[in-house]
Amino acid sequence: MKSTTASPKKISLFPDFRPTPRLVSAVDLAGQWAAPIMIVIVVIAAAIFAPAFLSPANLKTIAIQVAVLGVVTIGQTLVLLNRSIDMSVSAVLALGAVIVVQTDAGNSLVISLIQAFAIAAIIGLANGLLIAKRHVPPFIATFGMLVFVGGARLAYTKGQSSGTVPEFLRMISIKPVGTIPAALLVWLAVNIIVIVVLRYTRFGRWVYAVGGNPGAAKYAGINVDWVIITSHIFCSIFAILGGLLLSGYIGYVDLRMGSDYNMNSIAAAIVGGSTFTGGRGNMFGTAAGVTLLIMLLNLVVVLGLPIHWQYAMQGIVLVLATALQGFRQFLLSR
Amino acid sequence: MTLFSKANTNNVSLRSIWQSAFIRNNAPVLLIYIFILFLVFIGSIYSDRFLTASNMVNILRQSIVLGLLAIGQTAVLLTGGMDISQEMVARLVGLTVATIFAAFDSNPAMILPLILLGVVLGVFIGGLNGLLITQTHAAPFIITFGVAFILRGLNLAISSTPIRGIPSAYLEVYSAKIGIVPVNVIVMGLVWLLAWVFTTRTLLGRRIFAVGGSERIAELSAIRVKGTVVRAYIISSIFAALAGLFLLARTGVGDPSAAEGMTFQAIVASAIGAISLYGGRGSIFGTLGGVILLTLLGNFFNLMQVNIYFQQLLLGVIVLIAVAGYKSKRLGAL
Repeated sequence: MKSTTASPKKISLFPDFRPTPRLVSAVDLAGQWAAPIMIVIVVIAAAIFAPAFLSPANLKTIAIQVAVLGVVTIGQTLVLLNRSIDMSVSAVLALGAVIVVQTDAGNSLVISLIQAFAIAAIIGLANGLLIAKRHVPPFIATFGMLVFVGGARLAYTKGQSSGTVPEFLRMISIKPVGTIPAALLVWLAVNIIVIVVLRYTRFGRWVYAVGGNPGAAKYAGINVDWVIITSHIFCSIFAILGGLLLSGYIGYVDLRMGSDYNMNSIAAAIVGGSTFTGGRGNMFGTAAGVTLLIMLLNLVVVLGLPIHWQYAMQGIVLVLATALQGFRQFLLSR
Repeated sequence: MTLFSKANTNNVSLRSIWQSAFIRNNAPVLLIYIFILFLVFIGSIYSDRFLTASNMVNILRQSIVLGLLAIGQTAVLLTGGMDISQEMVARLVGLTVATIFAAFDSNPAMILPLILLGVVLGVFIGGLNGLLITQTHAAPFIITFGVAFILRGLNLAISSTPIRGIPSAYLEVYSAKIGIVPVNVIVMGLVWLLAWVFTTRTLLGRRIFAVGGSERIAELSAIRVKGTVVRAYIISSIFAALAGLFLLARTGVGDPSAAEGMTFQAIVASAIGAISLYGGRGSIFGTLGGVILLTLLGNFFNLMQVNIYFQQLLLGVIVLIAVAGYKSKRLGAL
């Protein structure tokens, strides 16, 4: 006998597609382990086709770039875990560098650092309030903030670059400690702190709870708005830290500095196993995603390809990773 | 006595105007048009060059690119998605058409086939966006963001310098006039009318609203959800391609930095025009108001000789205020 409540016919490329448990777990594993596996493949391929990739000088470049993007992506992962996103990291990053580097001669370094981090906290607070209290879609709220902060930087600098990078920034960025650059140590330290916080503190558990199911988290007595706002504040602070490391690394500040960090931080977090629907992903995956992305971008340079292939590379990585994570989320929710 | 009470119920006080359903349902849209009138009023006081026929026609002509992008963006926003790749589609079409014009020695006979080619390119990329989104269940703005980066690389591969060799007959698209009114302004008026007919009077238009309102209910009403979404992205890319073709006629060269930042302006124009960013709600008149408001503001800034470095800051402030006033209208939201 036919059921009277037949579900409507699904329009799909594969009409009779029924995911088996094995397929679901395979896609889930692939989503989690894609980045580490790809890193191994890229390193082996690089060793065969481009030996210059593994030279000590190039590895040092990669290490610093991984550290800068890594710090920014930690913040991005934090907001992605909350079902949010931050498109303003690139503007915040550049603004921080401008504040510290272009400071007047009279201002001491400590004061300008405090200024930079305070402004970051305010920007993060504004993002968080717009998203949590006004229910603005995160993408729109933070993109508006990107335009605003970018405009503020332009109005402050009048498009000129001036000032010199303080010695302190050079020290925490490219000065070698033993054989590894200091920036890598900064990244590792931040990573350890955030991993411990996410894993062993109440706040860390709240982040995963809110991302997993905001409604349930609310009924469990968690202050959902507060968790989202705090995550955004930390995201902006990590973005500023990334900006300081970046200006210490390149040694100057200019108008276009850091403009692709939005794209790269999101792509790296997604490659590393975070999903847009929140609650999934961790800092180990993010670290692997950052390393993979920087290695691929570096490979474009080492292989001597035109630089615009970097854009195409970023786009392809982002589309493939998003498609994989989206499919994974879709299968897991069935 | 009866006469008196009858007169009393017909008494149109300010409160009853406010309580009429039309006003209440369209308050955000009406507010924009009031704001536009206010700006025109201020502008006419400030400068006698503002409220002249030539300046008004000029503003309408300036609004064409943003208008085309915003109509396409509205179709996608109504499904609950977003299309970030618009400006790159416009740029790709402009560069491709310019390159082929140059290769054929600016032959005017190539104009129609190349316009057709541009539109086909739009259909192709829109179809790609739509299929990637519907088949992988990934977040729309991130997929289109990735596609935008792939196209950015592709554009730089085509050319990083302006391409000359556009036939002068093609430039008539921008400069042809009837009296003082440019032909393209009249055509654009017809396009807005067609867009209104499309969203309110055609099957696909109503289906787009239904899918944006609730995919589940649309599916149960025997609407092909995925097919509708793919068509919305194709519409968006076609309008982006048309904007690229118009920009080509305006600048007269294939410009590798064309339409920079226009996608976000199109989204903002739709959003302040009360198109719900969660999909399913809004009217094309709101989008028209948003487009005219943004164009008017740009004209206003130039007239008041606002420093170029402060223009972006002011745009950011306006975006943030518009966004902060945004109210979540998602049905069944948390």
